[in-house]
Amino acid sequence: MNFTAFKLVPIRRSDNSSFVGGRGVTSLILCAIFLVSLVTVDWDASVFHDGGISSVILILQGMVELDLSPEFLGIAIEASWITITYAFAAISLAVVIAVPLSFVASGSLFESVISKIVGISMIRVLLAVVRSIHELIWAWLLAIALGFTPTAGVMALAIPYSAILARVFADFLNDVPDSPLNALRSSGASPFQVLIYGRIPLAAKDILSYAFYRFECCLRSAAVLSFIGLQGIGYQIMVSLDDVNFGQVWTLLIFLVAMVVLIDHWGSQIRRNLFS
Amino acid sequence: MTIRKVVGIPFISLIFFIVMSLVSWSFLITSSNVSVSLSADAVYSSWDFVKRLLGAGSNGTPALVSADSWYRSLSLGLKTLKMSVIAAGFASLLAFITFVPASRNISVEGSSNFLSAGAFYLLRATFTISRSVPELIWAMLIVFILTPGTLAGALALAIHNYGIIGRLAAEVVEDMDQRPIRALRSSGASPLQILFYCIIPQAMPRFLTYILYRWEVVIRTTVVVGFIAAGGLGRDLRLNMSWFHYGEVGVLLVTYILLVIMVDLISTVLRRLSR
Repeated sequence: MNFTAFKLVPIRRSDNSSFVGGRGVTSLILCAIFLVSLVTVDWDASVFHDGGISSVILILQGMVELDLSPEFLGIAIEASWITITYAFAAISLAVVIAVPLSFVASGSLFESVISKIVGISMIRVLLAVVRSIHELIWAWLLAIALGFTPTAGVMALAIPYSAILARVFADFLNDVPDSPLNALRSSGASPFQVLIYGRIPLAAKDILSYAFYRFECCLRSAAVLSFIGLQGIGYQIMVSLDDVNFGQVWTLLIFLVAMVVLIDHWGSQIRRNLFS
Repeated sequence: MTIRKVVGIPFISLIFFIVMSLVSWSFLITSSNVSVSLSADAVYSSWDFVKRLLGAGSNGTPALVSADSWYRSLSLGLKTLKMSVIAAGFASLLAFITFVPASRNISVEGSSNFLSAGAFYLLRATFTISRSVPELIWAMLIVFILTPGTLAGALALAIHNYGIIGRLAAEVVEDMDQRPIRALRSSGASPLQILFYCIIPQAMPRFLTYILYRWEVVIRTTVVVGFIAAGGLGRDLRLNMSWFHYGEVGVLLVTYILLVIMVDLISTVLRRLSR
């Protein structure tokens, strides 16, 4: 299961891809599921609003009537900065939590087979449950438990992200080649020493690259934390939407797109340097 | 090892990352008047909240053991599942139509036509914009045009995921083996023949993997989009939360987690099958 590591897996070059066999069956199953859902779903009589068409015109008008006044640009920059700080704070906390968790989840610290199986499955189930809940639902639950504070916001991002990172880091730690580890073991290294001197250095590139990739996702998630009332670019977008000021909405969206593009570019530079 | 290699982009990035994290933490702590540390009070209220989710303090039978609540929650889960499939399906269809003209090696390097180069840049721009804006913000925009419902939610999800699947699939075409394309072209194949006998068969395995991978993400997000744009689990989660029916919220959350784990399993099986 390598869905989360899709960026890092090299593409298989020569593939005798025939359309019959498993691939064709998968495509057929997917098409069937799609068609069945399309036919049987309850559409809630979803149609255009009374003012739907005029909203389209307003939204499109906003694209050319951007709000570029100095005051508003100031608001947009401040909001972007807050969103960036949330993303950095959350992903750094997530990495700090994920690294020790991944040591346990990789199972490399357990000595006996039974404790290994029990330990791995327990922590993997826990991680699966934690990351199956979307960060906004975490935000909501935490807001009720802790109040609508930045703490709740950062924790809401850090909790599911640490579970995702821990799962993937553990896979990276397991996927390292065996021979260097055996060399360490035969010279008498304990499991912990094998982990520190063998697995971590061997998996470091993948771990670093994946953490940066997740950072891009974290920024986008931070942008919608406004849903529980936290400041940031999503909050300003909501305010402008409430004012039906689409010029401002598009200006803010340009800021958001620019941030994501910048981080994406940064990450691809890192990947190119790590794996070239 | 040269110095250039040691102080490369990854190393500088790591330092920058650590510095920015520290700056962000201190900014968040100083700009908000609340303390970031967890107080005993917060721990107590969290525990109390968890107990309520499990049905403590509710009148009558707790929702967690009520057949009615489970029936309702599971049927909402089915609807959410269908909505996620429709969203992933729309996104895949859109991406499938656009990913070949959106690859540089086909549209820009493989053709001297200005129109196809223009299509390349236009499509890449739509990918970037649609994937940079989160589903939830797309949903907020769409409810200005469509009434909140399944279609509005599915569209918001589809727009965001179209950008992601489209870009990933276009990169597959860019990274694929160019020799078969050249061989076909030099033996006189038409562009359509090259598309159907070379590009699509080569890109299909990855394309399927990406669809399944995105479906796993979409099922998680469908609930959140349901908060504002549609029914399903999301709307009921929101309503019960604002009515303080925490027992019901607990049931809905368990349904949600089961749904996500089920989709993960189906997706893993299908991915194995398509390998």
